[in-house]
Amino acid sequence: MIQARSLTKRYGAKTAVDGVDFTVRPGVVTGFLGPNGAGKSTTMRMIMNLDRPSGGSVTVNGKPYAQHRAPVRQVGALLDAKAVHPGRTARNHLLAIAATHRIPPSRVDEVIELTGLESVARTRVGGFSLGMSQRLGLAVALLGDPATLILDEPVNGLDPDGVVWVRLLARQLAAEGRTVFLSSHLMSEMAQTADHVLILGRGRIVADAPMSEIVAGAGSASVQVRTPHIARLVPLLEADGATVSGAEPDLVSVTGLAAPRIAEIAAGAGVVVHELTPVTRSLEEAYMALTRDDVEYRAERIAVEANR
Amino acid sequence: MTTATMPQEITPVARDLGFAGIIRSEWIKLRSVRSTWWSLAILLALTVGLGAQVSSSLSFQGVAGVPTQDAVQDLAVYAVMVSTDFGALIVGVLGVIVIAGEYGTGMIRSTLTAVPMRVPVLFAKALVLAAAIFVVSAVAFAVTVPISVGLLAGNGVAVRLDDPQYWLALLGGTGYLVLVGLIAFSIGAVLRNTAGGIAVALALLLAAPVALGLVLGLTPSTWLETVSTLLPSLAGTVLYSYPTTQSWVNLSTVTADDGWLTEPWQGALVLIVWVVVLFTAAAVLLRRRDA
Repeated sequence: MIQARSLTKRYGAKTAVDGVDFTVRPGVVTGFLGPNGAGKSTTMRMIMNLDRPSGGSVTVNGKPYAQHRAPVRQVGALLDAKAVHPGRTARNHLLAIAATHRIPPSRVDEVIELTGLESVARTRVGGFSLGMSQRLGLAVALLGDPATLILDEPVNGLDPDGVVWVRLLARQLAAEGRTVFLSSHLMSEMAQTADHVLILGRGRIVADAPMSEIVAGAGSASVQVRTPHIARLVPLLEADGATVSGAEPDLVSVTGLAAPRIAEIAAGAGVVVHELTPVTRSLEEAYMALTRDDVEYRAERIAVEANR
Repeated sequence: MTTATMPQEITPVARDLGFAGIIRSEWIKLRSVRSTWWSLAILLALTVGLGAQVSSSLSFQGVAGVPTQDAVQDLAVYAVMVSTDFGALIVGVLGVIVIAGEYGTGMIRSTLTAVPMRVPVLFAKALVLAAAIFVVSAVAFAVTVPISVGLLAGNGVAVRLDDPQYWLALLGGTGYLVLVGLIAFSIGAVLRNTAGGIAVALALLLAAPVALGLVLGLTPSTWLETVSTLLPSLAGTVLYSYPTTQSWVNLSTVTADDGWLTEPWQGALVLIVWVVVLFTAAAVLLRRRDA
């Protein structure tokens, strides 16, 4: 359980995190989304006591992280895969962190095996690829068998096998009753992993709701209707309260009516329908709609350059 | 990374965070990077090598006057510890690297995640560094002593090893290296940057006494003289000097106690004050700053 109350971080005149309140609950995977610069990493760093809040507070399992007697048993965190001395071997890195909490070397070897690092455990970390570093970061996070996991972009740089592994791991840890809080920019991956979504935009909470609600709330679901008799069908649908927008001469997108009702209306009027496809909104669309006004670094420049 | 399952833990794998564990962690970190072994090996080789070289070429032949046993002992101490100024540079660099290297690589964030109270990390790191420097410099002097005494005997210089002052001076040299390491460590912790930390540490240890000496040569000033006496390197020479009224360098002149810093313990005290002030600054900043 992670609880933030009026959590604020200012860097000079810039407010990175602006008085956010949220609770990350155990037993579910909570996805943390937001554009670059929205304050996600800063928030995670404040949870881990790496950054001092300018205001407000954040607790993990009832206490500020630093006040726990065995911090790594409370929280395992992967915030920065490159937070490693490149001259040290992976195993020595893990042993050094394990020693602080008297975690036995057998557990170190266990997490090495778990994250698939056996073959490189005794090589220096300096030569690791991003994916290998991520695995090492995950091994560190799992070392203390923590009740809470905080993972910043854990699948960044991982191979497809690793991405699936992280997804299954996150889901399993949540199923065991642990708190799992992870950020990612990969919407399709997040849609498959998270149960609950927290979206940050410009340092403020934009959305905090179950995945299904986020996806549904982005705009009502629509139904694609393909028929050679558009002109006859559209007025009937609009009379029943639907909003219709045309895309092609024989294809319209209908919102406000469910597919079965559209079928009934068409059948009642004797209109032949060639296609009737409910279109569900994706997390990506929902996310784009929610953060449209909060994107800090827009890509508009690229369009200008391309037009030259 | 196959679709393995998490092992079901019954007993918690992690015990409470404790200072002994943090010390162990810092020891693992110190011994698992090559820069540590490089610098300590250079310290050892330089102490033994320079000590042997100088011992083989030192004698009282052609020197006017008769050396007292004090002058002999003074020369013997000099012969063993001739490399101490270089040694100070090496432990200075090591002291900075040990902490600033964590900032340079980002390792500090992993360290402070495991020990979020932060300040115990600084204490444990300093302790492990001090122990490593103490052991290596003590071993280096211990190896140098028999070589030096043998070579000096060949030059007609009979060193008495039953003289406690001789050993105290060597112990002072060891203590000087430990304290210099801790001064550099604190500088590294304050600056959080390896290059900057080394530059400042070497400026303090090497450049400052030379620069002050030049200025004092041109315009004598008691105030500047006081400052220069309080510099770590000059306090160090007091700490590891052999107490004698007849210096081996010039047997005819009696060494005058002109400075107000004369006793080895006073030199040690000055160095300890340097360590305490800089270390406290480092600890306060570590608590306050974002990692």
